[in-house]
Amino acid sequence: MADQQLACATCQPKGLCGGKGILTLKEGAWANNPLSIQVLGICSALAVTNRLENSLVMGAAVIFVCVGSNLIVSLLRKRTPHRIRMIAEVAIIATFVILFDQFLKAFYWDMSKQLGPYVGLIITNCIIMGRAEAFALQNPPILSIVDGVANGIGYAVVLAIIGFFREFLGTGEILGHTIPVFSKWYTPNQIMILAPGAFFALGIVIGIFNWIKGPETEEKK
Amino acid sequence: MKGNVYTLIYAAVLGTICALVLTFAASFTAPYKKANAEAEEVENILMALNVPMPEDVSSEKLVEIYNKNVQEQQRGDITTYIYKPTGAAEGALAVRFAGPGLWGPIKGFLALDPTLTEIRGITFYEQEETPGLGGEIVKESFRDKFVGTSIRDQAGNLGIIIKTAGQEAPNKVDGISGATMTCDKVQQMLNEAIGSIIEEKQ
Repeated sequence: MADQQLACATCQPKGLCGGKGILTLKEGAWANNPLSIQVLGICSALAVTNRLENSLVMGAAVIFVCVGSNLIVSLLRKRTPHRIRMIAEVAIIATFVILFDQFLKAFYWDMSKQLGPYVGLIITNCIIMGRAEAFALQNPPILSIVDGVANGIGYAVVLAIIGFFREFLGTGEILGHTIPVFSKWYTPNQIMILAPGAFFALGIVIGIFNWIKGPETEEKK
Repeated sequence: MKGNVYTLIYAAVLGTICALVLTFAASFTAPYKKANAEAEEVENILMALNVPMPEDVSSEKLVEIYNKNVQEQQRGDITTYIYKPTGAAEGALAVRFAGPGLWGPIKGFLALDPTLTEIRGITFYEQEETPGLGGEIVKESFRDKFVGTSIRDQAGNLGIIIKTAGQEAPNKVDGISGATMTCDKVQQMLNEAIGSIIEEKQ
């Protein structure tokens, strides 16, 4: 993981992690974006992005879980026995995921039905586990929260971009609302809301992100 | 040895805390989830019966509309849901149907006209058919094809047909191409439901 250089114990005294916070934020949301650069957690990114609304809720779920699990894992990092740390991480992640799932089921029933099993499957999303393992275990709570927010946002933004284009091209609508003039003459391209559209959209987004970022990442590898 | 004891205690404490949090969350959300499930069933019955309802209604409002318009009536083993609108409009009668689909059970409501001659509406509230193929049965465009379909063929034999090919008939619904198995199974379970309600009537 490229962010091991961030794993420091000396950053506590200087205010909010002495500038490490901004660096962590940038790293997670852009330079090392979990979806477009590391290509993690793409199962859910492919499955739920047929509508912008679904993408936004899924993004919110991942931000919530990533922040929550990073915080708890970080708080417990000195007490967790090394041998069972991964089981402990999974238990913490699962708790947050199920909390969110219950919340959706109680208050956003329709959304919960649309997302189906994918909310529950956040438990196995490698972004969350990866952040807990690679970051929260070595860093103080506040910085871990920042990292959770950064990676959650990194995931959510890419999901929202894909969701926006898939819904826009696949149905001619945005957030379920028809767009004046455009929706009338545009013939929705159904393939965009079906599985192949997800692959096209994700591939193009990953391509564009890497193109903007330049060839630097390839050298690192 | 000391390390092992600590590890065990740590695991037990963490597990208990997680379980407590989830138990609390589950019991807190239980009444909301129950209301949602109830409202969903009611919504399906209302949709099958074609009861007019505003868009984006709350679950309480749905139950209210249901209680106002629909009467439940037991006929033998079958519960029927009867809609009698005020005014000139004709009502409808709905029954629950269920049966095996291609991948999992399919369940829904079928509404017939009061004289039991044609279909008024249909909804599916549970299905696991192939998305994009059999899963299309839940789409309004497919469900609308059932409206007005006779439950008997020209010779008077009971039963509907769901097929993509073949001649037009008053009891035939255009199927979904690529979802022959799902259509056959839906046809079978609907005919069973139609058969039992007609039998009960006699």
